[in-house]
Amino acid sequence: MHTSPYWNPKTETLAREDLRALQLVKLRRVAEWAQARSPFYRRTFAAAGFTPEQLRTWADIDRIPLLTREEWMQSQADHPPYGDIPVAADASAIRMHTTSGTSGKQPLRALDSRKDWSWAAEMWCYALWGAGVRPHDIGYVAFGYGSFIGFWGLHNGLEKLGALTIPGGAQTTTARVKQIVDFGVTVVASTPTYALRMAQEAEIQGLDLRASPVRTVILSGEPTPAATRDLIEGQWGAKVFDTAGMTEISTIFMFEPADQPGGCHIIEDHFIEQVVDPDTGRELPYGEAGERVTTSFGRSMIPLLRYRTRDMVVKLPHTATSNGRTWDLYEGGIIGRVDDMKLVRGTNVYPRAIEGIVRQFADVDEFQVEITREGIRDEITLHLETVDGFADASWEELELALLTELADAHEGLRFLIRRRGAGDLPRFELKARRLTDLRVAR
Amino acid sequence: MTTDLLGTPLTETEQELLAVYRALLMFVGRDDLAPVVRAGALAALAPLAVTVTDLGLAFEHLIDVGA
Repeated sequence: MHTSPYWNPKTETLAREDLRALQLVKLRRVAEWAQARSPFYRRTFAAAGFTPEQLRTWADIDRIPLLTREEWMQSQADHPPYGDIPVAADASAIRMHTTSGTSGKQPLRALDSRKDWSWAAEMWCYALWGAGVRPHDIGYVAFGYGSFIGFWGLHNGLEKLGALTIPGGAQTTTARVKQIVDFGVTVVASTPTYALRMAQEAEIQGLDLRASPVRTVILSGEPTPAATRDLIEGQWGAKVFDTAGMTEISTIFMFEPADQPGGCHIIEDHFIEQVVDPDTGRELPYGEAGERVTTSFGRSMIPLLRYRTRDMVVKLPHTATSNGRTWDLYEGGIIGRVDDMKLVRGTNVYPRAIEGIVRQFADVDEFQVEITREGIRDEITLHLETVDGFADASWEELELALLTELADAHEGLRFLIRRRGAGDLPRFELKARRLTDLRVAR
Repeated sequence: MTTDLLGTPLTETEQELLAVYRALLMFVGRDDLAPVVRAGALAALAPLAVTVTDLGLAFEHLIDVGA
């Protein structure tokens, strides 16, 4: 068996100048394909005065007009059900998936051809192999297998890689945890939130995950703050690997390699990832936080050129790692969403930052953040459940410690803390929503 | 001499792989294939097309041939 640490040694270690040249070749072909076959792109390219022949150097990429989710949704509203971005009729596709709809908007509907879907699995193979998953592994996919794309691609990637793949759909958390232990699973895939939920359920069932063969947990679907990662690694006794993808590209675009350099490699032979100022659209240098703009080469049915993702990231050069890959990284993975930030009494509040603090407290089992307006004053309240067996006498100490940590991280902003009863707060299998801004609804 | 998308000459393995891909691509274009043959060939072609793209040997859209 090949012992390479890379799924694709040729391109994962390609010299940067060659990588850029390869990306430019693919970019031209995708732009030509979009122009020739997609009514949407023909229209937007013409409006921007762009033609694929203009793509002569790397800098020419900025000639391609940006694509927003709103434009895509409008296209699907105007030309239901799939819009006019697809290059062919739905009869040419073999799969249809949707976004999760966590933003409260109508989910996007996306079509894939045979090759597209094969490519989606391939991107997961880069991640799985990079995390050390091998054909002898037993993979468990803790996911509901609905029309939301979720871990479908990972499932196919595990199969392609040759691992024994167990679909954990349509069953309770209790049943899933029992299967993981009973079948000797070595690799588990889930969202960060659901990994915590399964660990909690294992404890209730008296199952010791740390003593199980699980050695790898592959996460996707939500940002993973360091404290959440530490918690999952402690509860599972396994190494955690972060990934991120989106339905709009049908798969993942980055993965955390085995040496865990503090970030995720961008799969750069299949994507061009730019980081821009969300307000001006200006491309930002390495090290500055900005919005991801992605161009995907893999999807034939839906060419995706310069799509504004609303994900916030910080890009680092590949030299930040010593694992031999020449692909740039996103430090800490996805650090939030452009529209996640809330302003409370003049202070910026990010859900991921709050989670990073709350998860440091092992006595907290679940939490929700609520922002309200009381008269002319905004209030931010942390609702939390404590773990089973938490001593009431320790509550004041926990509350004070949380208040101090939260205030220190938010320019002195005073949070309110409310203790809730066991099971009062919602649990999540997929994308968790732990912040509610009730000011918007009023 | 056959080269990859960057103009680099192919290795022997890459030449063999590309030849298999081209042969399969040509094969699925025939109009006399029984459903069992056509479906199997298309199912094989899609991941093979991804592999040659991974290696930078070819980069093509196959929707018009059914993949």
